Amino acid sequence: MIRLTDRAWSPYLTGALIGLLQVPAFLLLGTALGASSSYVTVSASIAEFFDPAIRGLAYAGKYLDGAKNWWQVALVGGIALGAFLSASLSGTRRTGISPVWARALGTSNPAVRFALAFVGGFLLLLGARLADGCTSGHGISGMAQLAVSGFVAVGAMFAGGIATAMMLRAVR
Amino acid sequence: MSVLAAIAVGLLMGVAFGFLLEKSRVFEPGVIVGQMQLRNFLMLRIFLASVASGLIILGLGTLTGIIPKLDPKSVLYGAQLLGGFITGVGIALAGACPGTVLAQVGVGYRDARVTLLGGLAGALTFAYLEPAIRPVLLTGSPGKLTLHGLLDLPFWPLALGFAAVLIAALYAMERWRPWRAELGANADGVLPPAQPAKAAPAGAEPAAR
Repeated sequence: MIRLTDRAWSPYLTGALIGLLQVPAFLLLGTALGASSSYVTVSASIAEFFDPAIRGLAYAGKYLDGAKNWWQVALVGGIALGAFLSASLSGTRRTGISPVWARALGTSNPAVRFALAFVGGFLLLLGARLADGCTSGHGISGMAQLAVSGFVAVGAMFAGGIATAMMLRAVR
Repeated sequence: MSVLAAIAVGLLMGVAFGFLLEKSRVFEPGVIVGQMQLRNFLMLRIFLASVASGLIILGLGTLTGIIPKLDPKSVLYGAQLLGGFITGVGIALAGACPGTVLAQVGVGYRDARVTLLGGLAGALTFAYLEPAIRPVLLTGSPGKLTLHGLLDLPFWPLALGFAAVLIAALYAMERWRPWRAELGANADGVLPPAQPAKAAPAGAEPAAR
């Protein structure tokens, strides 16, 4: 029996339900789930206020307009709302930073964590845009379409993630 | 579809996605860093389950014609190897992926807002660097290669077969260590220190885990 107020649902159930979100994505938008290109849409839209010439860049210009791009921005924004709702129902709202960082970094100094969060976020999207996809686009969606690009990128993501995480302190 | 309708659909799907990410706990930095240190496998369970269900639904969808065609991405080996590796470094340092960072923001993690800003800066940096990177890493794609295309088979039997392999792997994982053992007392994936050396025999997981 699962309840909306449960702190956790089975990873197999939640994973399977996330996979089913491919159905509305394909039927309504003709594309698969993804997250990372929305960061280009949002950051380039903001940058356009200061640098209208960005619209002239072939890459950035391609992400500025259109239903698919803004669908993904709404999708990613909706994630924050959905997570907020779920956490509110189950009493798992968070404050501050996860206790895992004191273990992994060996310090509870928030400045260290904030600096690393910025660098981590920067590399996350720099890499995902270079690879043309993230754990959603290449992972969940690419592998579910048996795309060679998905297998290559996901293998490289785990290689980079494991190599880096092993340099942090053991979290348990 | 109009932009406004697409935004409405995206928002609804995003709320469902975020709800499921929160319930699955995969957005927790403790789960993600634990996965990358190979000490917690919740992330892999959720990831493989979502791939398996996607394979089944897309396999059935294309077989019946309800889903007219798939949308695989082009292969660019250099960009995907290097970009994927850099993404992985970012996943470990941020304790997040581009989608899960929004779930972290939603539940209230303070550092996730900084991760989000870093991500926007990273994406914008790439947009400006792209003209310089293009000739080096982003040209000469062999196309939208897929396993079924390379094997010259229809998608659905391969998809259903691969899904069956993943389901068997998940079944074995659950036998090896039940998923609840990886939640942590506060459902954040932060687990008590592992037992020293001497691995516990399968099926005899100590309650303290």
